[in-house]
Amino acid sequence: MTGLLLQQFVNMATIGAIYALIALGYTMVYGVLRLINFVHSELFMLGAYFCYGLLAFGFGGIGSVGALAVTVAFFAVFALVGFTGVAIERIAYKPLRQATRLAPMLSALGLSLFFQSAVQVLAGPQPIRFPSIFPGTRIMVAGAVITTTQLGIVVLAVALMLLLAAFVARTRLGVLVRAVSESPRTSALLGINVDRAISLIFFIGPGLGGLGGILYASYYGIMYPTMGTIVGLKAFTAAILGGIGSIPGAMLGGFLLGFVEVAGTALLPVLSGGILGTDYRDIFAFIVLVTVLIFRPTGLLGEQISEETMVYKRDY
Amino acid sequence: MASVSVARSGFRAGRVLARALLVGAVLAVLLLMPQAGLYYVRLADDVLIYVLLALGLNLVIGYAGLLDLGFVAFYAVGAYSYALLASPQFGIHLPFLVILPIGAALAACFGILLGIPVLPLRGDYLAIVTLGFGEIIRILLNNMDAVTGGPQGVMMIDVPRLAGYPLISPRGFYWLLLGICIIVGTLVLRLERSILGKAWAAIREDQDAARGIGINTVRVKLAAFAISASIGGLAGVIFASFQRYVSPESFTFNESILIVLIIVIGGVGNILGVITGAIALIVLPELLRGVAEYRMMAFGFVLAALIVLRPEGLVPRSFGPARLARWLFAP
Amino acid sequence: MRRSHITGLALAIAAAACGIGVARADEVTIASAGPLSGPQAFFGVTWQNGMQLYLDEVNKSGGVNGHTFKFMKMDDQADPRQGTLVAQKLCDDDSVKVVLGHFNSGVVLPTLPIYSQCDMPDIIFGSNPALTQQGVANIVRPVPNDFIQGALPANYARNDMKAERAAVVNDKQTFGEGVSRIFAERFKQAGGTVTSVSQVNPTDVDFTALITQLKQQNPQVVYLGAVMPQLALFAKQMHDLGLDAKLFVPDGGYTPDLPKQAGDAAAQAIYVTFQVPPYDSSPELVDFTKRYTAAFHSDPGAYSVYGYILAQIAVAAIKSAPKLDRADIVSALHSTKLDTILGPVSFDKNGDLAGGGRVFLYHIDNGKFVLAGHS
Repeated sequence: MTGLLLQQFVNMATIGAIYALIALGYTMVYGVLRLINFVHSELFMLGAYFCYGLLAFGFGGIGSVGALAVTVAFFAVFALVGFTGVAIERIAYKPLRQATRLAPMLSALGLSLFFQSAVQVLAGPQPIRFPSIFPGTRIMVAGAVITTTQLGIVVLAVALMLLLAAFVARTRLGVLVRAVSESPRTSALLGINVDRAISLIFFIGPGLGGLGGILYASYYGIMYPTMGTIVGLKAFTAAILGGIGSIPGAMLGGFLLGFVEVAGTALLPVLSGGILGTDYRDIFAFIVLVTVLIFRPTGLLGEQISEETMVYKRDY
Repeated sequence: MASVSVARSGFRAGRVLARALLVGAVLAVLLLMPQAGLYYVRLADDVLIYVLLALGLNLVIGYAGLLDLGFVAFYAVGAYSYALLASPQFGIHLPFLVILPIGAALAACFGILLGIPVLPLRGDYLAIVTLGFGEIIRILLNNMDAVTGGPQGVMMIDVPRLAGYPLISPRGFYWLLLGICIIVGTLVLRLERSILGKAWAAIREDQDAARGIGINTVRVKLAAFAISASIGGLAGVIFASFQRYVSPESFTFNESILIVLIIVIGGVGNILGVITGAIALIVLPELLRGVAEYRMMAFGFVLAALIVLRPEGLVPRSFGPARLARWLFAP
Repeated sequence: MRRSHITGLALAIAAAACGIGVARADEVTIASAGPLSGPQAFFGVTWQNGMQLYLDEVNKSGGVNGHTFKFMKMDDQADPRQGTLVAQKLCDDDSVKVVLGHFNSGVVLPTLPIYSQCDMPDIIFGSNPALTQQGVANIVRPVPNDFIQGALPANYARNDMKAERAAVVNDKQTFGEGVSRIFAERFKQAGGTVTSVSQVNPTDVDFTALITQLKQQNPQVVYLGAVMPQLALFAKQMHDLGLDAKLFVPDGGYTPDLPKQAGDAAAQAIYVTFQVPPYDSSPELVDFTKRYTAAFHSDPGAYSVYGYILAQIAVAAIKSAPKLDRADIVSALHSTKLDTILGPVSFDKNGDLAGGGRVFLYHIDNGKFVLAGHS
């Protein structure tokens, strides 16, 4: 029994960590621009592809790269995806700041389709094997089998999240980010360069998402052009669950969603006597989301969004 | 003086002629469409179905300002009601004209069902929950094998009959769809001008102020959901009778987004915009077939570009059919 | 520019240069429709690559009866609505003589009445048994009765492996659900116990929670009715989580991608059913893979070899048809008798593959497919 619980806990933690990492990107962007960045799922996918490309072509072969190469690749991917995020914001969102709320969302959707198709055309639609960046050894602990990949992902993801939290709380740039998230207008009045802060957010959020893509591809061992869609939707759900706009909320939401999914898979058939199969798991997740939103409309850790922080003049 | 007035009347005559030609051309296309190759008629039928869907969604997004990203659920309800009531699935074979109102009514019920829990939600949260609702419906349709046939869908759906005349060819459907679009379009236009429409406009601009002046936001919002859902259901019934096969694959989140895109790119809150958007978004991927594997890439790029360059849509909100009529026929 | 275009053009120029009376070589258009973009693009693109390979080879060797072939690829995105538009477009185009498609059962179904209306010879794919029961005369389906695949592993597991308990998982799709149901029934008939039947979504990649639950049931055998890449993902996660059971999968797993993506250690536990005698002893298959890789610079996809055979059947029908019109080609299709890489092909009165076909069971040993049993 302890083996089962421990195993499911580790499963939960791993998926949850990945969701949380990606959810951060959604939440940071929403926090400042009130925009659902639908391209984020594609940036996540690009992270995996960039990493593969770098390791395969830059270091000549992905199978036998050492820890140094992987670390370099990590930083490089963070930067690459980050800059892509900044570029997207400049080209596709900035011109729409005076427009309706719906416009940038749909522009994002168009771009999302574009990136997905572009990768498919350039790299092919087939799933490509992605060797784990961690040594894939299995460890037996109290009847549960845990792989170093799972441990590595959880540790790395949590470390990144803590880094982000520290960055936002302690550094000067972090304070900038928080100020602009709180109220762009007031920040502008105080002389803060709002555009630069927004660019920074679009660098960090997507950058983290790209790293999430590497971790995801490592965990499941493959990457493919459409891998972002489902995961993006789930991470987004996680961000909402935790309270969109709130960084700790995204982290909480990610792990919570991991819990709901694993618990759903494990418990639904048991609790419903076999009527509801494991495939109802996604509905279960949505129902949890809807229920939370009805009772706490801003999510678990979310804060009331004041009128003043609305960047867009009107909804539609 | 005389020369100026002559010049002006000459200019005016030219303008009248141009407008008459324009109206004539549009009428010619509409009336002669069924003579074209079946592929073009079928494409026109698709456009008309999406015009219908977009008319419905436009009501809730464009008029009432409620961001519904799960509209495809009502489309599915309509389609499956025809599929289940007119096929070998349960051995029931109700006539098409009987199922039309049933499908619309059933979809309206689902609209209210969705509307009630989302009443307190605003903006993006509303969007998320409606998105979730759409997905829940699709997953349910996919999983309830015994009732809906699951992923296999429902096949061998009956051919619809209008007064004994069977509708099989896309040409027949063209007239049916054109007629229904015109009827629904007129009704929607009337609604926009009615008290309910004004209430919707009030909610769209500022929900709190609307409540402040005494508008029953609950009833008004539910009306928006119900009416738009019934139009979606109507479109679904016709779709099922046209394709004669329904499966959950036709009702994905991408479909909801497509309909939203039609409205936004065409021009939100505006019937002409809806029509423009439907034509643009359904015909464009077909036109792009020439570029084969770059098709979706190009499509995505064009979408993003269109929105960035013209975020209010191709046809601005104020340019409704009334203003179009004035522009065409005014001296 | 398509190779068939260039070939046709070259032939035309050559013919003109030789002063033959024909102004240009006769080009016959064969069209294919399938998902070329979107989530199933991988299957559709590689499937059509197989067709392209065959048609290019035929064109290179001078064509057939003086005709060369133009290959028209259409994208339906696995969407029934787009499928009907594509079908109508192909119908309206008089130069299209045969359609190979569509790829998904759910897209074939609504297009059947359209092709039937214009008498288009349609070689369909898709495993839904209802496809050939719609009463349309212009289709044939060279896809073997896949449900035989469910019985063989059940017998093997009970009789050869003496397995007592089996857990069944499927992806809720027509094929996966059908074949896993047959497995479960046969396994129970042979005296075994099916511990559970679980479903996953076709887009799922994470089976860790499910596998952890299955571990509690202690099955010796797991049957997974799904397609790639889920088969590889499931196998890998089974191994990572320490579920030491044998994994039986259907023919989608007969691809080098399976041991590659699952990892050799995980693949050691996998058994795959497939309709063809061993790969290595079938020089044609090995040769096919070589030619495919040379032409497209990647491994063949799950259905590339089927694409190849569909094109082969189409060309054979065109060759034996007295006139190049659709009705004649339909009759020629129904009377096809052909030897292909995957065995002999002929059709029964419904257009289904005659004889159903034999099935072979392979075990993945050190990354290679080794014969373990057959029906």
